[in-house]
Amino acid sequence: MRKLLKLAVSAAIALLPSAAAFAQTDITWWDFLSGGDGVRMKALIKEFNDTHPDIKINATTLEWGVPFYTKVQTSAAVGQQPDIMTYHMSRYPLAVPTGILRPFTDEELASAGIKKENYVDAAWKQATFDNKVYGIPFDVHSIVLYYNKTILKEAGLLGDDGLPKGLDGLDNFNAALDKIKATGKVEYPLSLHTDEGGSMWRVFYTLLSQQGAKFIDGDQILPGDAGVKALKTMANWVSSGYSPKLISYEASIALFTSGKAAMHVNGVWEVPTMTDLAKKGELGFEWGAIEIPNLLGAQATWADSHSFAVPNSESKPITPEKLKAVLQVIAWMNEHSISWASAGHIPAYKPVTDSKEFKEMQPNATYAKLADTAVFDPVSKLAGVAGPIYEATQNFVVPALNGQLDPEDAIDQMREELQSQQ
Amino acid sequence: MIAPFLIAYATVFAYPVYKMFALSFTDAPLVGEGQWVGFDNYIRLFHQKLFYTSVWNTGYFVVLTVIPNTLIGLGLALMVVRLKGWMQSLILVLFFIPYILPVSVVTQIWKWVLDQQFGIAQFIIEAFTGGRVSVFRDPIWAMPMVALVTVWWTNGFNLLLFIAGLRNIPHDYYEAAMLDGATRWQCFKRITWPLIWPVTALVLTLQLILQLKIFDQVYLLTEGGPFNSTYVLLQLVYREAFRSNHGGLGSAVAVILFVIIVVVSVLQYQLLRVRER
Repeated sequence: MRKLLKLAVSAAIALLPSAAAFAQTDITWWDFLSGGDGVRMKALIKEFNDTHPDIKINATTLEWGVPFYTKVQTSAAVGQQPDIMTYHMSRYPLAVPTGILRPFTDEELASAGIKKENYVDAAWKQATFDNKVYGIPFDVHSIVLYYNKTILKEAGLLGDDGLPKGLDGLDNFNAALDKIKATGKVEYPLSLHTDEGGSMWRVFYTLLSQQGAKFIDGDQILPGDAGVKALKTMANWVSSGYSPKLISYEASIALFTSGKAAMHVNGVWEVPTMTDLAKKGELGFEWGAIEIPNLLGAQATWADSHSFAVPNSESKPITPEKLKAVLQVIAWMNEHSISWASAGHIPAYKPVTDSKEFKEMQPNATYAKLADTAVFDPVSKLAGVAGPIYEATQNFVVPALNGQLDPEDAIDQMREELQSQQ
Repeated sequence: MIAPFLIAYATVFAYPVYKMFALSFTDAPLVGEGQWVGFDNYIRLFHQKLFYTSVWNTGYFVVLTVIPNTLIGLGLALMVVRLKGWMQSLILVLFFIPYILPVSVVTQIWKWVLDQQFGIAQFIIEAFTGGRVSVFRDPIWAMPMVALVTVWWTNGFNLLLFIAGLRNIPHDYYEAAMLDGATRWQCFKRITWPLIWPVTALVLTLQLILQLKIFDQVYLLTEGGPFNSTYVLLQLVYREAFRSNHGGLGSAVAVILFVIIVVVSVLQYQLLRVRER
């Protein structure tokens, strides 16, 4: 036994100098980006690793949504949490009260050169509670209207500037859908993923906000009948045959990319899908993306934001040395977020969005103005990605949208369900 | 000598159960301790509509799976047991294969098979309903389809238990019966059924306990929807504890499920034993 111990000690001593010579900080990184934007993120991480011999990011991509956020919480409880993770800004009201996020002090931020005034104001505010900063925004992302230029031109809906025209206002929009249908070139004028709660929440919330209505007002959920109107508008698209019934996320993209649907509502994160297909010559038509038209009165679009945060663990807190490296990573990522913009997102770091390079980037430049009228999820424990509201949308909005439930009834049940969780 | 057992039992069984009961009387979050709140969690649950929906749906699922699963297992066993040699082994393997698959694979297979757009089973559905049905998004179809997937997945195990039981019945009984001119039906009714009954009672009880704990298939196939028509009790535990960070309330639901399982399975086993005598 003693012999063994001696051996171990001498081995450890022998290893020490070499370890000191390569003082490399290993950073564990978790994200949930598995689509076209995940590819861009991996490229960014690789570039960082290649240019920083002293820091190494070990990145893992986990499943988006509830599994991700649950895993963060349970891993932090036992000290197995990552050093840095991506986090949805809409989750902060849910996360901060549970103590899952480690706040950054002013000195820590200053030492990495992270300055508040360089970031989109609304996003920075969302991560600040009681003057403490819990995360650094990375982008603003939203939903946009993808369109097929060839079909729209044929229906007489394309202006000389290559942008769609005559889509503003619900009546005009529905008339446009009719015109597209009349061309007989497509199965559906508008492709929505009608069986997916998360996606339908984004559309529903956009239509709600366009009426100037709030989802949560004080302790009231969905006051008035704006919710019913938004839901009826969506349900009408399905029942009139403008949009497919009960169709999955992947299938609804395929409808658009295969030319069977003229327009498609989806997140900016699908921009890489279109860009890459077009580059390979597999799209077969010219495409564009614009901000969701003003249908119900006011310009507004649902938005969220990816951010970087550090999990808080009582059993094994992050070491100062690692934290320093993490902040360096965050600062570097934001400074290089122009390549993140090619994933469709609008960077949250102002020096990048002010750059000439970004202003010329397509289609981002076309829809970038949506950031001015973007509406974030309500600040509530019920809101946020994969939170109770998402579940309620899946459970009530989706069936109503597909004609399985009466819209009024759906809104009533949704209200009751969420009220009981308040 | 009994110490290792006691230690193992206390740490991996008794303590967690005690903890579940204790937590259900607190307002604990998912991780960490909470304040004592008495019966608040239970009162809150009994005022929640979703709780009753979940109890009802769990019961509905049990009705849809337990007896069909047992009967199908027995039926298949009666057929398989007549086969001889390698043929029997092959057929057994074929029936048992689904049981060794992980639940995520099983649900993925059935999602493809039943997919509204390109699922091969839609041809059968179309023949009956005249149109395609997105079964896991339909309030009427969802639960029976989850049950169907479950029966397909777990039936192999019941089949094995029944085969073991059937092989234990001495062949002489059948020979003697045949000599007396008994029909095949009489053989089944007077010999097979009474002698296989203990195994049947066991399978029924195991099934009942297993199916009351339904979660994975519902979570992966329907997420409890549409409009809560497939929401089950264990999903409520998951939602409260992991999604809404209410460890205490989640424990309260778990306690109720625990009590239901204990009461129902003891009752059922006793009832089945009465028949045995």
